[in-house]
Amino acid sequence: MELNNEVIINNLVKRFDEIVAVNEVSLEVPAGSIFGLLGPNGAGKSTTLRLLCTLLRPDSGTASVAGHDILEEPVNVRECTGVLPEEGSHTLYPSLTSYENLEYFAKLYDVPEEEAKKRIEDLLKFMDLWERRNDPAGELSTGNRQRLALCRALLHNPSVLLLDEPTSSLDPIAAKRVRELILKLAKQYGQTFFINSHNLAEVQRLCDYIAIIDEGKILLSGRTDELRRRLQSKQVFKLRVADNIETAKSIAEGLDFIFDVSIESDSLMLTILDPVSNNSVLIRKLLNANIAIIELAEEEMTLEDLYLQVIKEEEQ
Amino acid sequence: MNLSKSLVVAKADIKMAMNYKYVKFGVLGMGAMGPLFSVLSVPMIYILDPNASSYIEFILPYISSMLAMFAIIPAALISANSFVGEREQNTLEPLLCTPLTDMELLVGKSLSAFIPSILILVFGTLITEIASNILLFAFGFPMMLIPDMPGLFLVFASGPPMIFVVVFVMIIISGRVSRVYEAYQVSGVSVLVYIFSMLVPTMFIGSSMPFGQVIWFTNILTFMISILLLLITSYLALRMFNRDRMITQI
Repeated sequence: MELNNEVIINNLVKRFDEIVAVNEVSLEVPAGSIFGLLGPNGAGKSTTLRLLCTLLRPDSGTASVAGHDILEEPVNVRECTGVLPEEGSHTLYPSLTSYENLEYFAKLYDVPEEEAKKRIEDLLKFMDLWERRNDPAGELSTGNRQRLALCRALLHNPSVLLLDEPTSSLDPIAAKRVRELILKLAKQYGQTFFINSHNLAEVQRLCDYIAIIDEGKILLSGRTDELRRRLQSKQVFKLRVADNIETAKSIAEGLDFIFDVSIESDSLMLTILDPVSNNSVLIRKLLNANIAIIELAEEEMTLEDLYLQVIKEEEQ
Repeated sequence: MNLSKSLVVAKADIKMAMNYKYVKFGVLGMGAMGPLFSVLSVPMIYILDPNASSYIEFILPYISSMLAMFAIIPAALISANSFVGEREQNTLEPLLCTPLTDMELLVGKSLSAFIPSILILVFGTLITEIASNILLFAFGFPMMLIPDMPGLFLVFASGPPMIFVVVFVMIIISGRVSRVYEAYQVSGVSVLVYIFSMLVPTMFIGSSMPFGQVIWFTNILTFMISILLLLITSYLALRMFNRDRMITQI
């Protein structure tokens, strides 16, 4: 089945003087999915998001959001996207009340008055901000402001949501609620989410698709479950031996399917390629050398390991 | 272009600008200053010196220039807050993410500065005319136009274009300055055009040219300068308005 892509990016390039912030980025985000763009600070995540919401013009390449070209139809793109900018909690009008902030944007997004009233009430209640509706946004806590900024992004019921670090500055309970909201919106209303995040655990929990970006380049992209499978082919094991740990280390280093051998307290940490076939070879070699094995256990690998591994490979 | 959206932007900008004490008191202060200065000058001169009619014509050009100047300063205050202030307080990015076109945004932001300034200009002049004549009448002096006809021409012909000049200067510099007070100072320089209408007549005092003609000549020239400035700044502002530059400065 061919998936309908809501966000399509083709060789997008954005330079700031000498710095190439986004370097020939190509991505596809299927409709109704949650996509996570991971990367360290300055990797090009926010610039990519700003290009998609037409705040910046690319130097070359193309992109479309909800079927609209970002260069040819920027107004249409803005109509069907909801944006939570970086540090969203600082992007509200501090002197306007929570309600007035949303009311102002509802007018700019052409939401009919009655519908706007209902949506504002629903969103403020959902985010536990209804009691604070008459408080100036500048008097709210950072977490409440972040939630209010998220309400603003959802106000006009956009088909694509572009969220830059949506749960940063939220307490764990509020962050959990936001994640639940994202999952609910994606499942029930088919809204597509493009999320920039540093929070790997969050991305792992939320996203159907992931891409890792560094120095403006996409290093890796794909379905989250596929990337997880990729992790299975190369896993980290913890080997505990009764004695002769140095001998065990030199044996492990001599095997071509083992990488990154290191000693951590009384154990050896080994990255083993295709462990299902190769672990028995390792065990045999150790036993032949009269090394008593206490434990050979698989270390649980997360996307964080993959992320660090990809960044490390790129640096090398 | 959807004008109602521009009006939404203008209304919100005025409301937000007025929440800042320095803008609120600046606008109210400037609005009061023009009529106050005018009402206190001509009638007071008459009251203090009943033979003032021989030199009062030399004072009148200052009144119209002052009225125009004090009406333009609020435009600089509001537009500085509206353009650079939005960026300074990080509210520009979500605004630029809305479906507003560049023209709707520019018109909205321009109106937010233009509406209060034009109200100050019209009502300030009206109050000056009425209050000055009430004073003159109360002290038994003949009623007169304050500002006079050439003065009214200066106020209403060059005032509105100069308000727009201030806004356009703000658009031109908005991508280059990062602080509201810098923007306000730079665009505020536009009011100096009225130094011209104040100074030129003084150069003709004692000359053979009738002073009334000098005033008309100066005010028409000031009007032409303001139109020229309007054309230049509007051309540059429309060419230089750039979302990229505004955003990359954040």
